[in-house]
Amino acid sequence: MTMQPAKFATLTALLLLAVACNKKTGDASAGASASAQTADGKKPIVIGITADASGQYANSGDSDKRGVLMAIEEFNAKGGVLGRPIKFVHIDTETTPATGSRVAERMIKQDKVAFLVGGVSSGVANAVSQVAQKYGVIYLNTNSSSPSEAGENCHRVKFVWDGNGNNFAQASVKSAIGTFGKRWLLITNDYVWGHDTAKATKKLIAENGGEVVQEILVPQGTRDFSAILLKVQQKAPNVIAAAVGGDDLKAMRTQVSQMKLGDKYAWINNQQDWPDVYGLPRTDLFGVFGTTWYHGLDLPGVKEFNTKYLKANSDSSIKTPGNVFYNGYWATRSLLEAVERAKTTNNHAVIKELEQLKLPAAARMQHHDAYMNPVTHQLQQTLYLATANLQSTQPDELFKILSNTPPGDVLDKEADGKCKLEPFEATPVYEP
Amino acid sequence: MLPHLINGISLGILFGLLALGFMLIVGVMEVINLAHGSLFALGAYVAVEIINPGWMGGATAAYLQLPLALRYALALLLAPIVVGALGMALERCVRRTYGKKAEYGLLLTFGAALVLEECIRIVWGPGEKSLPLPESVNGGFLAGDLIYSKYRFFAAFLGIVLMAMVWLFLEKTPYGARVKAGAHDSEMVRALGINISRLRLFVFALGAALAAVAGIILTPIWGLRPHVGVDAVIPSFLIIVLGGVGSFWGAVIAGLLVGITVGLTGGYAAEWSVMSMYLLLILVLSFRARGLMGKKSALEA
Repeated sequence: MTMQPAKFATLTALLLLAVACNKKTGDASAGASASAQTADGKKPIVIGITADASGQYANSGDSDKRGVLMAIEEFNAKGGVLGRPIKFVHIDTETTPATGSRVAERMIKQDKVAFLVGGVSSGVANAVSQVAQKYGVIYLNTNSSSPSEAGENCHRVKFVWDGNGNNFAQASVKSAIGTFGKRWLLITNDYVWGHDTAKATKKLIAENGGEVVQEILVPQGTRDFSAILLKVQQKAPNVIAAAVGGDDLKAMRTQVSQMKLGDKYAWINNQQDWPDVYGLPRTDLFGVFGTTWYHGLDLPGVKEFNTKYLKANSDSSIKTPGNVFYNGYWATRSLLEAVERAKTTNNHAVIKELEQLKLPAAARMQHHDAYMNPVTHQLQQTLYLATANLQSTQPDELFKILSNTPPGDVLDKEADGKCKLEPFEATPVYEP
Repeated sequence: MLPHLINGISLGILFGLLALGFMLIVGVMEVINLAHGSLFALGAYVAVEIINPGWMGGATAAYLQLPLALRYALALLLAPIVVGALGMALERCVRRTYGKKAEYGLLLTFGAALVLEECIRIVWGPGEKSLPLPESVNGGFLAGDLIYSKYRFFAAFLGIVLMAMVWLFLEKTPYGARVKAGAHDSEMVRALGINISRLRLFVFALGAALAAVAGIILTPIWGLRPHVGVDAVIPSFLIIVLGGVGSFWGAVIAGLLVGITVGLTGGYAAEWSVMSMYLLLILVLSFRARGLMGKKSALEA
C-alpha cells in the first residue's frame, strides 16, 4: 500500500484546494441583467443580497435571504418603489470575510446594485460594509450582532438591525448575578462577535459585583466540546455565559444536553438564532437566551405574519418565521419605505431618512417602539429573554418568552463613544 | 490531567474509526475518496429514517412501538448496507479513472461529494436533525467529581469493536489477504486469477459502509446537518497522512494521537484545539515524510 511521495504531495495540494473550493458559487438570480431596463422603460432597483449560503451560517443566511425576498415581493406586488420594479442578485458570501469583500465589489461594479442587504457573520458584515462605504452604497447589516458593528466598525452607509451582544448582555447579566450567583465562566467563540460580546459581558459582570473565573476561547469549527465541558466542571461556576454561534453552538448544545449539564449550571446564551435551533429536541435548549422576535408572541399581526411567511416559503423546511427572517424582512421593508419617503434613491437622502427612522411597536409586532440611533446607525428595539418551552408538544413552539426589555434599558452606551460615522462630505454620492 | 487524557483517548478512538473507511479505499485503490464525508452524513440520515421512519404510512405507529434500542441496532446494521450499496455505484464511476492520473479520481469523488450533499439537502432539508439514543447510553455518569458522557464511552467501545473487526478481517481471513495483496501489487493478484474489479468494488462498498457507521456513531456528538461531511473528511484525511497511507495501525495510532492532542489542548488552551491537529501533522511530517507507519517506496527499499 504505497504511493510515491511526490504524487502524494500533489494530491494533498489538490485536496486542500478542493476543500477550499467546497462552497456553493451562489445563485446570481438576477445576474448581470438585473440592472437592465424593463419593457416599460423603468430601470429596476437592484438589491444585492449578501447572505451566506455555505459555511457556519448557511442556515441563517438562507432565512435572512428569505426575509429580504418577502419584503421585495410585497413592494413589487404594489408596483415597486418610485414606479420602479425591484430586482435582486444573490451571491454566497460563504461565511468568509474575504468572499464578502469580493462579492460586494462585484455586485456594485458589475451588477450595479442600488443597495446591499444581508449579514449574519460579523466578520463578513464588516468586510462588506468597508466596500460599501468606499462607493457610498447603503448596506443593511441585517443579523450580525457584534457590538463593534455599530461601534468602532460603524459606517455612514451601514445600518445595523439586530440587537448586539452588549444589548443582550445588559438584558440578562444583572438579574442572573442576583438569581444564580457571582462566579461566571465565559465560553467565547474566537472571532470578532464572540470577543466583543464577551468584553461587554465581562464589564457588566464586574459592574454588578461578579467575577469571571475563566474565559474559554472556542475556535470556529470546533465540533468536540468534551474537554471544554470537563474544564467547566473543574471550575464549578454558578453561571456560564456562552457566546458561541452557528454550527459550533449546535454541537455544543448537543454535547451539553447529552451529559445532562444543562440543568447543573445556569446557562446564559447571549442570543439564539431561530435557524440554529429549529429541529433540535427542546431538551437541547437549556438555559436562558435572547432574541429580538418570536413567532409565538401574543401581539396583533403576528399570526397574519406567520401565515404570510408560510405561503411565501412553502419550500422551506423551517415552517415558522424566526428572528433572522424577521430582521431581514424589516430591514428591507424599512429601506424601501425610506426610499419612498425620500422620493429618490440618492444615498445621502435615503441615509437621512433612515437616521430618523421611528417604528411603532404595533407595526413591528414587538412590545416597545423601535428607533434608529442616528449616532451609531443601530436599530434600538425590544429584546426578549426566553427559555425552552418544555410544556408544549407542538414542534414549533420551542421558546417560552420570559421577559421583554424596552430599548432604553439596554442601550449600548459604549458604542456611541466608539462610533465615528464618516461625514456626508466624505461619503461618495451614489444614485443608482 | 488524567480526565483530559482519558477524554482524549476516547476521542482518539472515534477519530480512528472516522478514518478507517477512508484508509481502506486510499490504501487499496489509491483513490482519495472526497465523498467520504458525504457518505458519513448519508449514513446518519438513513439511520434517522430507520429509527423514526416517516415513510411507513400506517405501519409507522406499530414500528415505533419497538424499543428504541432495537431500532438503533437496526439502524447500525441497515444504514451501512444502504450506503455500502451506494458506494458500489460510486465505484462503478470511479472505475473509469483507474490507471489514469490520480487527480481524476480525486475530482470525481469531489463532484460526488457535492452531489450527495445537495441530494441530502433536497431530501431532508437544510436544518438540523437529531439521532435519538437509547436512554441506557444517554446522559452522564459520575467518576470522581466529574460528569462524563455515557455515550462517549459507548461510542468509543463501538469504535474499538469495529476496528477489531476490520483488523480481523484484513489479517485473519483469505478475503483480507486478497485485499492487502491487491493493494501491494494488483497486477500480480490479477495474474493469479483473482477478480480484481470485484475486489475493488467490495473494498469501496466496505469503505463507504464504514463511513456510514462512523456517521451514525458520531452524529449524537457532532449533530447532523447536510454539510456535516466536511467536518468528517478533513480530520480523516489528516489522520491517514499522519498515520501513513494505507496502514491500518497507522490510522489507529494517528487517530489516538490526534484525539489526545485535541483533548489536552481543549482542556488547557482551547483556542488551539483545532489548530493543534495541524501542528501535530507538520511536526510528524517534518521527521517522517511518509507518516508514522508509511512504507518506503520501491525505489528506496
